[in-house]
Formats: sequence, C-alpha cells, structure tokens
Amino acid sequence: MLILHDMQAIHWAVAGLGISFVTLTLLAVANRRLGVSTGFEDVCSLVLDAPYFKRSAITSGRPWRLPLLAGLVSGGILSAVLGGGWSPVWDLGMFDTEIGWGPGGKVVWMFAGGLFIGFGTRLAGGCTSGHGIFGLSNLEIPSLITTISFMAAGVVTTNLIYRVIL
Amino acid sequence: MVLLYLVLGTVFGFVLSRSGAADYDFIQGMFLLTNFQLYGIIGSAVAITAPSLWLLKRYGKTLTGQPLVIELKPGHRGNVIGGVLFGVGWSISGMCPGPILVSIGEGKVYALAVLAGSLIGAAAFGVAYPKLQRPMRLPVLARGTGDG
Repeated sequence: MLILHDMQAIHWAVAGLGISFVTLTLLAVANRRLGVSTGFEDVCSLVLDAPYFKRSAITSGRPWRLPLLAGLVSGGILSAVLGGGWSPVWDLGMFDTEIGWGPGGKVVWMFAGGLFIGFGTRLAGGCTSGHGIFGLSNLEIPSLITTISFMAAGVVTTNLIYRVIL
Repeated sequence: MVLLYLVLGTVFGFVLSRSGAADYDFIQGMFLLTNFQLYGIIGSAVAITAPSLWLLKRYGKTLTGQPLVIELKPGHRGNVIGGVLFGVGWSISGMCPGPILVSIGEGKVYALAVLAGSLIGAAAFGVAYPKLQRPMRLPVLARGTGDG
C-alpha cells in the first residue's frame, strides 16, 4: 500500500515496462541517455559561476534535462490528482511510527539525506536511472560498480537504523 | 522536442509515483530485504531495456535517422565512494533523485528539504571538483563524471 492515498501499488513488471519505454523512447527518438541526477547540476548551473557548472556538457543538456525534471514533478501531481486529489502530504510512513520525530527533526533528517544524495550521485556520475537502469542495461562496468555500492550502502544504513539502533 | 521531454518525464514520474519507487516505506522495505517490489521494478526495467538497447545499437540510428550516440560513463574511485554516499542518502530520505521530484509533485512536503539538500550537495561537489579530481581519479573538468 502506498502512502499516497493508501493506493495499491501497480505490479512491478508494469512499472519496469513503463520505465523501459521512457528510457528507449528518449534514446531512439531524441538520442538522449536517461539520467536524472545531472539535472541537479543543470539547476545549479543557473545560479553558480564555478567552472564545473560552465562546461558545455552541462549548458547543452539543460534544454532537454530541465523539461524532463519538470515532467517528473507533473507526473507526481497527476498521480495525486487522479488518485483522489492533491493536498500536502506530511505522512512519512514507518518513519513516523518507528522513529516519530516532529516536523523540525524530519526537515533536518531529510535535508541531511539530500546532501548525501546530491554529493554522492554527482561524485558517482549518476543515480538509479543513469547507472542503475541505463548503465546496467548497456552493460557498463562503472555502472555495475556504482549500483552495487549504493544498494549495499542503502541496505546497511536502513538495517542500522531500523534493526540495530531502534 | 521540449514537449516530448515533458511528456516522457510525466510518464516516468507517474510510474514512479504509483509503483512505490517514490514511497518511503517501499524504499525501506527494499533495503530491509522484506519487499521485492523495487527489485522487480529495476530488474524488469533492465531486463526489457538491455536487449532492446542492444538491437537499437545494432541498428545504429535514431528513428529520425541520426547516428546513435551513447556516451559511456567513466570509471573512477568516485563510483564506489559516491555510490556509497548516495546509498546512505537514499536510505535516510527514502528517495533517489527522480522520486525527489515526483514526491514534490505528489505534495509530500519533506521532499522539499531533500531537494534543497541535493542541490547544495551537487553544488558542493561541483565547486570541489578540482580538489577531488586527483584523489578520486576523476576525468578532466570539461568531461565531468558523466551524465545520468
């Protein structure tokens, strides 16, 4: 059951097919390699002057990656609206039932997670989409190494939080 | 073309939202090895994409006739270290980059804090790139760590 409107999740194979359709269409029609986390750099490049954000790989990617990112947000809106209406969601599932921090603690916790995600994905050169979906599908060794690394770290961290500390 | 990216992003976002990929409990269930859903999603996506991608590469062209270009991601120490940092962040927040944006669309308020952290984290990485380049064996700055 999803946190969002307590909906039943769609079958994993349907989701896999949908993600595959998006990945392949992006490549077959637009010659683009799926990847989301580079979009963080695109957003940074709108306001930062560091040489890293001025390179052409970033500035030339903005015209397609920023609309893709906007689409992800609109997909979330559409899902909420069609699933029973859009409203702010404060529910954090088992975080609330097992850890139970207030809003301030949750904001700090989530922000900290974001720092790891932003720095880590860019250092690794990609995230679940660019390395996990595209890179693995394209049989790229760095993607396999990265995917094993983030999955292992996630398993260890979540088990530490929910099985060791709690 | 902008419309195509918007539509593909929307389809991607809708699927992530409805499948559990943007759901805190499903992500923790994946990492606790108690919920198969996310492994099924990623596994089936790769199982369908891999052979299709192989065929498309053999064809060698896009549907509009341009030569197919796939820039490979470079291998370096950042794959492991960055991967581990990302895995820790994914576990803490219950979101990876796509689902951060999807969650914001869904109205999940705390995703805004994750996005703020992610942008600052990415900014810090970009600023620190020249210093990280040697110890992490990263490519020249013009290339970066790769799109994705």
